[in-house]
Amino acid sequence: MKGTQLGEFEELVLLTIALLFDDAYSVAVVETLSEKLERPMSLGAVHRTMQRLEEKGMVSSRFGDATAERGGRSKRLFTVTLAGEQALREMRRIRNELWAGIPKTAWSGL
Amino acid sequence: MKNKPPRWAEWLVERIAAPYLRDEILGDLSELFQRRGNRYGYSKARLFYWLDVLLLMHPRLWRRKPRSVAYAPQFTDYQNPSPLLMLSNYFKIALRKLNRNKAYTLINVVSLGLGIACAILIFTLVKYHLSFDTFHANKDRIFRVFTELHDSKTRYNPGVPNPMGDALRNGFTAFEKVGRIAFLEKRVVEISPNKKFKEDIAFADPEFLEITNFPLEQGNSKTALQERNTALITDRVAKKYFGAEDPIGKIVHVDDSLVVRITGILRDLPANTDIRPEMYIPFGNLKDHTPWMVEKDWWFSVSDDMQCYVRLKPGVSAASVDNTVLPAVSSKYYDEKMAKFFRFKLQPISDVHFNPNLKGNTEKKNLWAFGLIGLFLIITTCVNFVNLSTAQALGRSKEIGVRKVMGSQRGALFWQFMTETALITGMATLVAFGLAYLALPVVNQLFEIDLTLNPFTDIYLITFLPVLLLVVIFISGSYPGLILARFQPVMALKGKLSQRQLGGFSLRKGLVITQFAISQLLIIGTLVIANQLRYSQQADMGFEKDAVVMLPVPENKKSTINTLSAQFSELPGVESSTFFDTAPAAEEVGSTGIQFDSRTESETFSIAIKAADDRFVPTFEIPMVAGRNLNPSDTIREYIVNESAVKALQLKSNQEVVGKRAVINGRPGTIVGVMKDFHYRSFHVGIEPLCITTRSENYMNCAVKVNLRNLPATLAGLEKSWSAMYPSSIFTYQFLDEEIERFYKLDTMMLRLIQAFAGIAIFIGCLGLYGLISFMAEQKNKEIGVRKVLGASVPSILWLFCKEFARLLLIAFVLAAPLAWWVMNGWLNNFVYRIELGAGIFALAIVITVVISVLTVGYRSMKAALMNPIKSLRSE
Repeated sequence: MKGTQLGEFEELVLLTIALLFDDAYSVAVVETLSEKLERPMSLGAVHRTMQRLEEKGMVSSRFGDATAERGGRSKRLFTVTLAGEQALREMRRIRNELWAGIPKTAWSGL
Repeated sequence: MKNKPPRWAEWLVERIAAPYLRDEILGDLSELFQRRGNRYGYSKARLFYWLDVLLLMHPRLWRRKPRSVAYAPQFTDYQNPSPLLMLSNYFKIALRKLNRNKAYTLINVVSLGLGIACAILIFTLVKYHLSFDTFHANKDRIFRVFTELHDSKTRYNPGVPNPMGDALRNGFTAFEKVGRIAFLEKRVVEISPNKKFKEDIAFADPEFLEITNFPLEQGNSKTALQERNTALITDRVAKKYFGAEDPIGKIVHVDDSLVVRITGILRDLPANTDIRPEMYIPFGNLKDHTPWMVEKDWWFSVSDDMQCYVRLKPGVSAASVDNTVLPAVSSKYYDEKMAKFFRFKLQPISDVHFNPNLKGNTEKKNLWAFGLIGLFLIITTCVNFVNLSTAQALGRSKEIGVRKVMGSQRGALFWQFMTETALITGMATLVAFGLAYLALPVVNQLFEIDLTLNPFTDIYLITFLPVLLLVVIFISGSYPGLILARFQPVMALKGKLSQRQLGGFSLRKGLVITQFAISQLLIIGTLVIANQLRYSQQADMGFEKDAVVMLPVPENKKSTINTLSAQFSELPGVESSTFFDTAPAAEEVGSTGIQFDSRTESETFSIAIKAADDRFVPTFEIPMVAGRNLNPSDTIREYIVNESAVKALQLKSNQEVVGKRAVINGRPGTIVGVMKDFHYRSFHVGIEPLCITTRSENYMNCAVKVNLRNLPATLAGLEKSWSAMYPSSIFTYQFLDEEIERFYKLDTMMLRLIQAFAGIAIFIGCLGLYGLISFMAEQKNKEIGVRKVLGASVPSILWLFCKEFARLLLIAFVLAAPLAWWVMNGWLNNFVYRIELGAGIFALAIVITVVISVLTVGYRSMKAALMNPIKSLRSE
């Protein structure tokens, strides 16, 4: 895992972007995440994370259409890049390996 | 949509969000708001909105876009570029613009330069005067004791009776130091028989130098002025007397009566002090030099040369000294009646320069008048600038239109204009400094002062200049800037802007009126002052003042005077000569009480008294209206009085007074004649009761009526006899009419100054007028062409130009005339004998303005009117 540090929240946002695929923009991400995590999300936090991801090159963005709801302002749509995908897979692999390595006796209570 | 997100929050985000994020974030926020509104209601959504905005606060919100991210620039990104970033562009454009419109630039730079130069000079002058005697340590505790003489009216004298110093020093505890000083003007200081100088000297206590702390450069400050027959001189005087030689220990003679040894050198006196003597001799020596000043402890006379400076103890207030200590002095040394007459007060040393009652030579109100004139000039120049540049704006409409279409915002256009203004003002300041440097020697000479101008060391000037510049830039730049920025681009591009759309042509009219009004005010002021001065110098004083040479009489023994008089009368060019104490018209005349005839009480008025011999009246050709002239005598026997005195004595006819006894100044005599009233002081004051008597020991001056035909030979003859009689003195002479002119020195100074300012104001106004008319001519180019084709005559076209300005000029006159009348009437009230403010002066003022503006406007409008219409109409 060199160079591509991915924080926990970043990973969640990146996954959501991937999940939403063609309609991944900040408001959608906020809503999906708050639903899944069952806690309110602030737009600011999501926004900053998405900016950070873009700087790291894990997502790319383009302008989408504007709606009346948005007061005629266009939204920015995000797509996961190859690098993003790789980082996600890497994280998953590490997690899987770690899970697999945990001895059964470790869960003492169960 | 009815439910809108909170406006303030939106505005906030709009302000701080980085341009490339702004739209997206606002869109997100609004979308969330709408959804939440649907779900939970809009009031809650509004709350969430605010919460979201708060949580958005993070550097990422306003940070610029990182470079690595490829992102297409958008129009909105550059909506609000920072003015600072644009500065280099502003500068470049401004320089090009100024370079292209050279005439316009020149007019502006010159007029602003003149205005600023005047402002700098006036500022320096006012600051110089305000700085007088402010450098003394503990200056808040330094005071001069002065005398109030409570007569029928109160008179003031900066001097005190000679025992005052000792009385204060010994009897009272409020004073830390008491320093007596006696000023003696124009004494002869002799270094060697061939080397004599006229010098203002002072006899002073050692404490005086401690109070004023003028530092010694050489010599011991502990012993300075302690030992008799020593002297301190300033470095400048030392160089003048002894050149490179060491002055310490040198012996010099002061007049004939005193020999002193130089024991110390004072540092040169600063320019801003009214204490001017450059030679100090111990006070104790005064009785060797001028015994009558200190003859005995004489409390009953006050000479303004005998002064007393004090430094109060810390914590002692001047008011308490005024109210308790000094009245105690009066009651201790005078009887009850005289204690009411002689009262003493403290004058702060900072007031010495300004108080006209106590011989302060600069009135503060004059300084404020100068300040006001400076302000006027700055306003005129700013008005000029505003006028010219709004007029120019019309010519620039296409440029502005294109700029606007290309996306220039109001702010950017405004700042571009301000940069141009700042550039012009900057250049003007350089010009102004050049002009101020050139004018400085003239100003110094006019005021007989020593101003310097150094913007690098003068802290006040350093602060004044930027403030002035900022004010000028903002006053003159902001209005045209706003106008320019307000243009509708479509209109501007179509060239459909008219004067009206330029906004406030009426405002510009107002400005021109202001300018004309200021010029006219100054012109009227100049005319009135000049007329009054001419009147006071040419009017009949009531005695003959032409061809009279005045000589000093250093020593007035009876035999000396008689010999001198006899020698003078032998000279071919001399018609007559007379000896007396003060000239027929003098600034200072002593006055005293009078007891008339058999009346038991002294009169309530005081009478001015002159001592003169029997030839005074014939020499000055003063007409006698009753009785006869004085008989020759050397002591007081007879008096002659003027008509005013007869009136003051409440007698019906002049004859009644003749032959009566009178006790004047405590000395009895017979009144033998009545003179016609003549002006024995300046026109500033009225003619009051006056008497003349014979008393040879008072004669200090001699007047010789000469024949002007062979003047040089006569003067040489006078000098020969005079120098033979007074070998140790220096021969000086002056014509009486010149001496009388000196009464009006301050007024003449004011006149010169206002003349200069009026000239500058008019010149600046003309520059502005010329600019405006050239602009109008260009504007009306086509109109004139069409008119000419349709048969308009040249005069009718000229009238087209002139009528506008004629109207403005008249309105300005209507405004200026009453103001000028009010101001100048106030000034004329300083004179008892004055001209009346007739319509003539006002008419002349308006004629002058009209002529000057016609000359300015004429050439340019003539050119426009004479132009071949084909040239202006050809393009269509």
